[in-house]
Amino acid sequence: MELFANLAHGFAVAFSPINLLMCLIGALVGTLVGVLPGIGTIATVAMLLPITFGLPPVGALIMLAGIYYGAQYGGSTTSILVNIPGEATSVVTALDGHQMAKQGRAGPALAIAAIGSFFAGCVATVLIAVLGAPLTKLALAFGPAEYFSLMVLGLIFAVVLAKGSVLKAIAMIVFGLLLSMVGSDIETGASRMAFNIPELADGLGFATVAMGVFGFAEIIRNLDHGAEMDRNLVQQKITGLMPTRKDLVDSTPAILRGTVLGSILGILPGGGAVIASFAAYTLEKKLAKDPSRFGRGAIEGVASPESANNAAAQTSFIPLLTLGIPPNAVMALMVGAMTIHGIVPGPQVMQKQPDLVWGMIASMWIGNLMLIIINLPLVGIWVRLLRVPYRLMFPSIVVFCAIGIYSVNNAPVDVVLAGVFGLVGYWLIKHDFEPAPLLLGMVLGPLMEENLRRALLISRGDWSVFVSRPLSAVLLAIAAGLLVLAVLPTLRAKRDEVFVESEG
Amino acid sequence: MSDTPSDAPVKSNLPKWVRGPQDFVGGLAMMAVALFALWASSDLQGMHGFSFGAGTAPRMFAVLLLLLGAAVALVGILKDGPQIAAYSWRGPLFVSAAILFFAVAIRPLGLVVSAFAAFMIAALGSHETRWLEAVIVGACLTLGCALLFPYVLGLPMPMFPRFLIQ
Repeated sequence: MELFANLAHGFAVAFSPINLLMCLIGALVGTLVGVLPGIGTIATVAMLLPITFGLPPVGALIMLAGIYYGAQYGGSTTSILVNIPGEATSVVTALDGHQMAKQGRAGPALAIAAIGSFFAGCVATVLIAVLGAPLTKLALAFGPAEYFSLMVLGLIFAVVLAKGSVLKAIAMIVFGLLLSMVGSDIETGASRMAFNIPELADGLGFATVAMGVFGFAEIIRNLDHGAEMDRNLVQQKITGLMPTRKDLVDSTPAILRGTVLGSILGILPGGGAVIASFAAYTLEKKLAKDPSRFGRGAIEGVASPESANNAAAQTSFIPLLTLGIPPNAVMALMVGAMTIHGIVPGPQVMQKQPDLVWGMIASMWIGNLMLIIINLPLVGIWVRLLRVPYRLMFPSIVVFCAIGIYSVNNAPVDVVLAGVFGLVGYWLIKHDFEPAPLLLGMVLGPLMEENLRRALLISRGDWSVFVSRPLSAVLLAIAAGLLVLAVLPTLRAKRDEVFVESEG
Repeated sequence: MSDTPSDAPVKSNLPKWVRGPQDFVGGLAMMAVALFALWASSDLQGMHGFSFGAGTAPRMFAVLLLLLGAAVALVGILKDGPQIAAYSWRGPLFVSAAILFFAVAIRPLGLVVSAFAAFMIAALGSHETRWLEAVIVGACLTLGCALLFPYVLGLPMPMFPRFLIQ
């Protein structure tokens, strides 16, 4: 097969000792920086990007792949250990991962995240080689109406994964959508709800809001008098660093399902990769015999979204390379780096520069491999971080977060905003509103609005376009079905039980 | 925080017909956010013909949030629900103060001063803090950050107070 020959060619390019070393260094540095709480994946890649500029193109891309995977895994590590997700996709990992850490199972959570990511990366690499070209056609079948429906479905996933009241979860999504409207209007450039604050002209940054409602709010809540017991619990019983046989058995199907789901969703340009981890989590929760375990430290809740996330990151190269649409902020940075090295994403890139394209795909796989080589031994060290007394840990996290947020744009206003969102997040926790749906609403908001506008413009203001186009109708039907399942009275009773016990 | 433990519900000042104060107040707050957004986006252009104006989507979502907030508040009236949890003042106050101080100080005073001061202010937020230990850890952390961010990662950041350099 020609495609496998391409892949082999890619590996031949990537597998020189010097390139492997580049990748190893990249993954190591990426992990070390990404694991600092408050420095998210985006900030890590942005900070480390300049060190690759002096290298030859292939070496630079390989190192970048290492940095990317390292940073992403570092982000998952902070989600699990201190409940601070560094980017949208690791919000889901924080849900069960941090609960596992609270139960003394941070080690297995970190290990399964690495194993799941590696497996998903392997499958997705082969998938790109085999199905890359034909699957691009699927992405092209998606018009604005389909994308809008996909966003609706994505937001409904956030409702299903919330623990408490469905109504409140939907309210949080809409709140997030509203927050995403702040800044300049994409089409007219008009300033919206920015109150003439120049720093708001580009909108609220995801990192700023996430650091606020997850990071700072979590710290403030932990300082509450009653929370002390909870924290001591985290520090005392750390059991086993590696997953047990039962953990592996439990998470294997979850990893498989997450990989398949992530590979498919990753192909869709735009929100696909973000939705992947939320969708995978929802699927696991729906398939589980006992859904109430989710949100309380279910290992499937870590394994599946982490695999989906990684598979999607890999397959999202297809739209990136063929259509030139980056699926998320990190990938947008990668495109920037590719452009610097002379690769301009677009339909011809696969034919014109096979060395770089296949070398890059191969290097993504090598990045994955380095990740698992570096991180499995490091799990023990990360877990030991949990033993640092909280009275020293929390001021350090505050300082790291403040520096991290400041460094993204060199804007003191961003730091203040994150502080404000910290207080908002604290209030939300006190009123049992969950922050995860809010963040998803915020991430998907701009895409949703853009596609809604386009779809209605094309259909000349006819709203029925969303149900008359078959693909869009199917997506909306799935969304409606999930929503009905979520509000069914029988399920309601169970959900309430979960919410009372876990937030006690 | 030797005042009220946070898990104990505060006595509600709300009228008796509010059966779930937590939801009731939460819903009202969401409605307030929605009304604020409606006001903030009121000067933006609306629909013209088939195409959305800049203000269409924000107003659409604001109205949706208004309705959802009302529904949440209604649940608070109709269904028994939890009381509002007590807030503690110490953690939120000092953590916010630390963040605010860092934001204000980073430009004029530089990384070293603002990081160390932010660490110490945040440490005030907990009654568990032991001061000698906090000073030592704060100093080490500041040193680490001062080496890591500007030198290792090459971020352009002021290090020392402006008036000392000049």
